[in-house]
Amino acid sequence: MKKLFLLMSTLCVAGLAHGPALADGETIAVFTKNQTNPFFETVRVGAAAGAKSVNAKVIQYIPIKPDSIPEQMSQVEDAIVRKPDAILFTPVDYKALVPGINKMTAAKIPVIGMTDRPAGGDIISFVGVDDYRLGLETSQNLFKAMGGKGNVIALEGVKGTLTSTDRMRGFTDALKQFPDVKLLASQPANYQRLQALQVMENLMQTHPQIAGVFAANDAMATGVVEALAGANRKALVVGINGSKEAVDLIKEGKMHASGSSDPFMQGCLGVLVTVRALRKMPVPKELMVTPVIIDSTNWRDHDIPVEKRSCPKLDEVAAK
Amino acid sequence: MSQAEATVPRRSLALSNDVLSVFYRLLAVGIICVVLSFISDAFLTTNNLLNVLRQASLVFFMASGLTLVILTGKIDLSIGATVGLSACVAATVIKATDSAMLGALVGIGVGAIVGLGNGLLVTKLRIPSFIATYGMLWVVHGITYYYMSGQSVYGFPAEFRAIGSGYFLGIPIPIYLMILFLLAGNFFTKRTTYGQQIYAIGANTVAARLSGIPVNSRLNLVFILSGAMAGLASLIYLARLNSAEGDIGETLTLPTIAAVVIGGTSLFGGVGSLFGTFIGGLILTLILNGMNLLGVSANWQPLITGLIVLLAVWLDMKTRSKTDASS
Amino acid sequence: MSDRTMGERAAGQGLSFLGRVPGVAFVLVALFAIFATLSPGFTTVPNLSNILVQSSILLLLALPMTLIIMTEGLDLSIGAVLTLASVVLATVALSTGSLSIAVLAAVAVGSAMGLLNGWIIAWPGIPPFVATLGTLSIAQGLCLLLTDGQSVVGLPDELHTVYAGYLLGLPIPIIIGAVAYALMHLLLYHTRLGTYVPALGGNREALRHAGVNDRLVLTVIYGIGGLMAGIAALLLTSRMSSAHPTAGIGMEFDAIAAVAVGGTQFERGEGWLLGTLLGVITIGVLRNGLNLLGMPSSIQVVCVGLLVILALFLDGMRRVEE
Repeated sequence: MKKLFLLMSTLCVAGLAHGPALADGETIAVFTKNQTNPFFETVRVGAAAGAKSVNAKVIQYIPIKPDSIPEQMSQVEDAIVRKPDAILFTPVDYKALVPGINKMTAAKIPVIGMTDRPAGGDIISFVGVDDYRLGLETSQNLFKAMGGKGNVIALEGVKGTLTSTDRMRGFTDALKQFPDVKLLASQPANYQRLQALQVMENLMQTHPQIAGVFAANDAMATGVVEALAGANRKALVVGINGSKEAVDLIKEGKMHASGSSDPFMQGCLGVLVTVRALRKMPVPKELMVTPVIIDSTNWRDHDIPVEKRSCPKLDEVAAK
Repeated sequence: MSQAEATVPRRSLALSNDVLSVFYRLLAVGIICVVLSFISDAFLTTNNLLNVLRQASLVFFMASGLTLVILTGKIDLSIGATVGLSACVAATVIKATDSAMLGALVGIGVGAIVGLGNGLLVTKLRIPSFIATYGMLWVVHGITYYYMSGQSVYGFPAEFRAIGSGYFLGIPIPIYLMILFLLAGNFFTKRTTYGQQIYAIGANTVAARLSGIPVNSRLNLVFILSGAMAGLASLIYLARLNSAEGDIGETLTLPTIAAVVIGGTSLFGGVGSLFGTFIGGLILTLILNGMNLLGVSANWQPLITGLIVLLAVWLDMKTRSKTDASS
Repeated sequence: MSDRTMGERAAGQGLSFLGRVPGVAFVLVALFAIFATLSPGFTTVPNLSNILVQSSILLLLALPMTLIIMTEGLDLSIGAVLTLASVVLATVALSTGSLSIAVLAAVAVGSAMGLLNGWIIAWPGIPPFVATLGTLSIAQGLCLLLTDGQSVVGLPDELHTVYAGYLLGLPIPIIIGAVAYALMHLLLYHTRLGTYVPALGGNREALRHAGVNDRLVLTVIYGIGGLMAGIAALLLTSRMSSAHPTAGIGMEFDAIAAVAVGGTQFERGEGWLLGTLLGVITIGVLRNGLNLLGMPSSIQVVCVGLLVILALFLDGMRRVEE
């Protein structure tokens, strides 16, 4: 509490110090992929918190059908009509939305990428996480905990998504570093809990010995945890995102680890970088949130409710 | 009196068709099982068969309510969305009150209310069920998204989770529930007046109305039952997944319709059975199970599902035209 | 005007002139007034053109869907066929480097899927809902197998100008939409084939007795649906400058909703092409207006559902009055 107060007062002071010199009240359109995945809700909360700290406004654009390319494309076109000062953009598909980015830049609206790096288009900066490193380090953590040997199963995300491809690439490279770890099966479960549960239930039938499971996100990892519990079997399960649910499962010892991509920080930094660009402050070409592997040793540091988290200061962002 | 005249002959015809079509479907299940047990050692084990039945139970609860709607010649496109809303509301109630019973009642109640809404749109506002329930799908999704605001609710008490992941005498509890509802549903549709009226409405709505069947109130009833069964299904999902998110039922509607259709229920109404739907769900589950066991790419799944749907319906039409010709 | 009288004659209904104005027309006017008042950006020319451009793909699907629904049919596969045609277009464009061959291939694949639908519905007599549910899965499966779930990118630049370009000062998608509408209008109201359409829904026996090959006609109508999906695929692919195996999922329901909102009846072979156009535009106006107002996404989702229900409710009221 005291710490929070301190932080808030420093923020206020910082605001006072710079306030008169800077224009504020910018409107930033924030695009995310869907309104069902808690990951993006945390991104949005982070973005709102970031905006509040620098006196900017955010308008959230979320496709009315989850992850729908045409819907997001239409929203891009609608957003252009409203002429926000800048757009903070997470494409639902990193290739298919490139024309959308081109439309925004053609309308002279600056675009900052977030979470999924678009395959093209002129973006001022990108805020995200290195999904390859996230996959690699989370897998390494798992394989070490397995004692460097044993059978693993991998559950992939939605085929063709950048996050899934990169995380699986990281997993495959980690696998090469541990020759005694054997990959039994790698199946897609589309980032969905139910599919992960059923795929895992089925895979357990053919594979009596499973020491570890790598799931490309936490929703699938929790599905795996349920499948294992249902069959009364044990395996080390790792996921990715560092969701609250995963932290709780790690706390209870049911899940081994989760590679955190800190969605709150992504949202925060996304807005702050955007605001820096609008206020003609220097911005980094890319700003990557450092992956943190949350496991039994450090979950306490990450067991903080979103509303209690705070964004870094505007001045700190460039250095980060 | 006139009501009995209108319903009884139709019912007996439907039964003879049912027996034949169910027989063919059991045969299909048998063939799939034999083939799978030859290619994969893991298939024909008690564990795996229980696993398949447990997964099939998830499909069955949703599909059974839908079967009743389809038997009347209507459709319910909102069931997936209803599962989502029921699951989310039930989940928050269970978290807030710690009472599994209250949560379960609320979950089923929410489903029934959505079902009643569908029923009223169809019977009072005379909107075709396809469009009414499609509109309802959006409304229910929107309410769910608003209600959850992107969060998930998870971690339920053990006694609640037992209905999804518990065992009794070594057999998963959802399987008992499925058998219970299958028998009860079969009794309801085949042996009660209500059931006969549902078939009669599907076979010929005008004739049913003329013969004194309260068509609108029966239609309301099947939509409410469909919603309530979606609510029940949501509880099983909830207990099984130990978590609720806004998108929990999103992808389930079309596979559920496919299960009903593969099970031999005609979308024109009046023909079909709950037992057929059970087998339809079982066939879809077996295919998925087999693909996982054999490590076949999941990319093949929609293609295979589509072919099975067409094949099943085509065979039905063949057998039906044959029995029609012989009778 | 003429289409309405033709439609009435064909459907054998003597409804009054005003009675045929579908509920959606009132909804559209109301929505337009609300958004024009509340949002200054709404009535600008760029935004109105934006709405029409956005609606073009849905219109291309909804037009043939109107005909199909008038035959008491349904095409659930049209969204998946659109996606498949888009994937084929992109794949062929990549391997041959020729856009015209790619477009031909997409239209051919779309038409083939449409004819397949028509064939299994007309000859073995599989109910349209089930038949197209099956082909939906098949088309979706083919998309996945062709692409392995990946986007297809690296298409020639001139492809993008189809969606983003202008001809005679008008955006090309609007021109394509208008031409498609005109052609469908001609087909439905000024050709012999068109007169068969409502009869297929209302009175198939009579058609057969008149010596018309009703099965062939039905197959052709579903084929037109596939053909239009193939043309829509050009717009969709051009819009994304890429093809994606899930891009058109669920659009069949949007198209069906637009047709129903436009006042076409699911039974009795009554349909109205202009109503479908209004339905498509109303859905476009609603989404655009709510976006401009900055409505939360969850509210937007509810509104789409309410629009569908409201438009049909108004139609129902008018029918009851008659």
